[in-house]
Amino acid sequence: MKKVATPEYDIKDKLKHHVSALSTAAKEVVMPLNVTTQYPRERRKMPDCFRGYILFDPERCISCFQCSFVCPANAIWMKEAPSGRYYPTLDYGKCIFCHFCVDTCPGGALKQTKIHDVAYKDMDEMFTLTEEMIEPPEIIREDEGYVDYVIDKEDLSLKRTKGIDKLIVDVAPSQGVPLVSLCVEPENCLGCGICEGMCESGAVSSLKEDGMVRMKIDVDKCTGCGLCVKECPMQILRLFRE
Amino acid sequence: MIDINALISTIMNNQVNIPLLQPLLDPLLGMPVIGYIIALILWKPFFVLILIPGFATMGIMLLILPWIERKMVGRMQWRVGPREISPHTRGIIQLLADSLRFLFQEVIIHKDAHKLYFLQFPFLYFIPVLLPLLFINAGTAGNPLVPIQTDYALQIMVALISLMPVFILGVGWASNNRFSFIGTVREAFLYFAYEIPFIVVILAMIVLYGTSNTVGVIDKQSGVWWGIIQNPLAALTFFIATVMATARLPFEIPEADQEVSFGPFVEYSGIAFGLAYVMGYEKMYVLSAIMTMLFLGGGSGPVIPGLGDLSYGIWFVIKTLIVLVVMANLRGVYPRYRLDQGLRIGWGAMLILALIALGWSIVVMGVRL
Amino acid sequence: MAAIGKSEWEVKIPEKTLKEKLYFENLKATVIDTKLCSRCLTCACVCPVDGIIAIDGVEFPNYEEECTDCSACVKVCPRFVYEPKSGLGSYIEFIAGQSKRFKGQDGAMVTELIVSAIEMGMIDRGLFVGRDEDWVTEIFHVRDIEQLEIPTLGGTKYTFARVLPELKKAVRFTKKGVGVVGTPCMVSGVRKLQQEFPLFREKIKLVVGLFCTENFHYDELTKYLKEKGVDFSKLIKTDITMGKFIATMTDGEVKFKVRALEEILPSGCNVCTDFTAVESDTSVGSVGSAAGFSTVVVREENAKKIIDFIKKKGYADFGEAKPEELGFLIGHKKKREENIGK
Repeated sequence: MKKVATPEYDIKDKLKHHVSALSTAAKEVVMPLNVTTQYPRERRKMPDCFRGYILFDPERCISCFQCSFVCPANAIWMKEAPSGRYYPTLDYGKCIFCHFCVDTCPGGALKQTKIHDVAYKDMDEMFTLTEEMIEPPEIIREDEGYVDYVIDKEDLSLKRTKGIDKLIVDVAPSQGVPLVSLCVEPENCLGCGICEGMCESGAVSSLKEDGMVRMKIDVDKCTGCGLCVKECPMQILRLFRE
Repeated sequence: MIDINALISTIMNNQVNIPLLQPLLDPLLGMPVIGYIIALILWKPFFVLILIPGFATMGIMLLILPWIERKMVGRMQWRVGPREISPHTRGIIQLLADSLRFLFQEVIIHKDAHKLYFLQFPFLYFIPVLLPLLFINAGTAGNPLVPIQTDYALQIMVALISLMPVFILGVGWASNNRFSFIGTVREAFLYFAYEIPFIVVILAMIVLYGTSNTVGVIDKQSGVWWGIIQNPLAALTFFIATVMATARLPFEIPEADQEVSFGPFVEYSGIAFGLAYVMGYEKMYVLSAIMTMLFLGGGSGPVIPGLGDLSYGIWFVIKTLIVLVVMANLRGVYPRYRLDQGLRIGWGAMLILALIALGWSIVVMGVRL
Repeated sequence: MAAIGKSEWEVKIPEKTLKEKLYFENLKATVIDTKLCSRCLTCACVCPVDGIIAIDGVEFPNYEEECTDCSACVKVCPRFVYEPKSGLGSYIEFIAGQSKRFKGQDGAMVTELIVSAIEMGMIDRGLFVGRDEDWVTEIFHVRDIEQLEIPTLGGTKYTFARVLPELKKAVRFTKKGVGVVGTPCMVSGVRKLQQEFPLFREKIKLVVGLFCTENFHYDELTKYLKEKGVDFSKLIKTDITMGKFIATMTDGEVKFKVRALEEILPSGCNVCTDFTAVESDTSVGSVGSAAGFSTVVVREENAKKIIDFIKKKGYADFGEAKPEELGFLIGHKKKREENIGK
């Protein structure tokens, strides 16, 4: 075991340190710096990767359910839209703002924003329907911009900057991990063609010849959404890194 | 039979002289009843006890000192301090708001507490805290402003101050709570650690001044020969002992929030807690006033024209405030010592310093004689 | 690209007898409508859309829309190309056993075999048939001995159980393997599954067959028994001994000749010639041993291991069994070969 010993100072050093501590304190009393952000009137500058309110773009959604699979808090439910497709709904009562859903979304339909101060009157209201996720929520704001503090590393001086912050981040659609669905146990295949029916991008094809079904996954077309993997009755498909 | 005329003449012969206010006071003094009241107030001993530097000043200090402390420590730590309660005055009425809250909060006495002592001790505590004000001389050489003149003033003050921890021990015992017990034991330990150097230092100053009458003490500090210059070691030791006695931050061992959550006062709530909270600041004020009197020349300073006797009082209050501010400042500078470190400082460095200060006083006295 | 996954593969499909129809229609025409179907429900186990059900005979309610025409049901059906099996089959050991740990209809050897296999670590779940108050069969996934405290797990039910549809779930969840208990037709279905799909070959580690003369449909049997005066709320057990069907109730017994039951004999059983579950790993039944004992026919090595394990641990008493006592029932079922094709 390593023991940490107190540093040995003689009385001169000790006095010097006391004086230096007291004089620094006195200096700060007279000419103070300030790092407090007066929140409702000011706001800290959020980084672009801030994990806040999540927006949804239905046109980019491919209904792959990835967001709902990955959600560790089970906050995302897929709800059937009148068009027959499934879109996510988000329960902010459960959401832990990990943004795994935003990261996994293969089409970039879910977008992060810097909005972090949405208030609800009750728990039911926190269940956000798909339609409510398209537009950012209405928030009454007192602040007019952000405040940012930059500490100089050399002399520890503090610079206070102000500016106008855009709460909605324009991010390039996230690429995510390029995945592709492949068959791991071809012997177990039933040849049922459910995968072909599920595939939205038309990557899976089956061709019936006499005495044979030829199954084919077009790797270039596959978006890696995993719908076929989920639906396969024999569970013989897996997602692989491209 | 009290000779009323003799009493009136005693009062009238010992009036505070404020030339600026004299035109205003003269017609009032002529009035039948108000005249007597004004005369009583302007009677020097009464004036000192009630107004400056007595209860009225202390009350104002208690209201603004926590604000000063919080604001200053906030600035040191790059914060803002209290603000939201009145943003335009920078939150100066924070303590007023706090005390209002304390006033209307429920006072909870838990069932294991000793009910009688639990409520009694915070009030009894005021006796040793307030009585030393009777002997504080806020005047200057040849012009004393003191309620009671006695040759044993310093000894009485030391006795009263030594009585203070007894009430804290009582409070801790009556609370019947493990945290309050720990805090009480810490207080008891620390009590002996600071009390002995404290008494030795007072002894050194009595030796140095050759008197324990507060009037004599001020008389011996004429000009720039303040006590702090005559015996700086004693001043330092007295200051550290004061910090220890009031449990301010480097020695906030008995009341350590993070460890024993306000120590002996952990069970108090509502106005009882408010009293305990204010008590610490009262103790601070009284000890700072003694420090001002013993080491900082009392009310001596350039006379402000037109204020007469009041000028001394104002200088005394300003000096006391400076001592208080320095003491409050320590909160933002030092972290808390452990109990053993505090005890080592008390029984080690401070006792040695106090004894050296006593020796210094004896040598100085010998040279003078 | 990962080396393990394949983007192109082929699936063999059998030839259709009716070219223009879906595979299920083929199955229906060849097996169900010709009354060959034994309701073993192997087809339901493998159906990718879970469409095949048994209500009043095996059906696929809206196969025109849902059927994916994948041929799986035809592949696994043991009677699509029916090769009747009969006789005692090959065996390593022929013994009688009585479990010390469990109480059952006879020797409780089926329970003992499955639980011992779980204890050995050969399998991690066994499929048991339980029943509810009305004697409707339910499937239990037994993973622990404690689960066997359910009293309705043991005992013969004489009605069809939907074991095999549950098998797919069990196979998907299992880590070590699954043990299945079934009638000879189910055993044939499981063997067919294992023959066609490696998944079942790997995961089904133990197949326990039961001696079976016939098995009844729930509705028909209950109707018949009610006519005979059996109160299902009081029924404790059913048994066939010495050519008589005995229903034991809390307040007495109802006895009648087994032959009387032939009027409700299912068409699938009418063509079944297998009495001893020839294809199983081990067959168990009451015929051929003393009262209180079960006859155990050990056919495969894995079953032999379990019997050795039971012997080593002393979980069961073993005794003599007489193969010749089975002769009558084997012969009885052998006669049904004539019914095929009628």
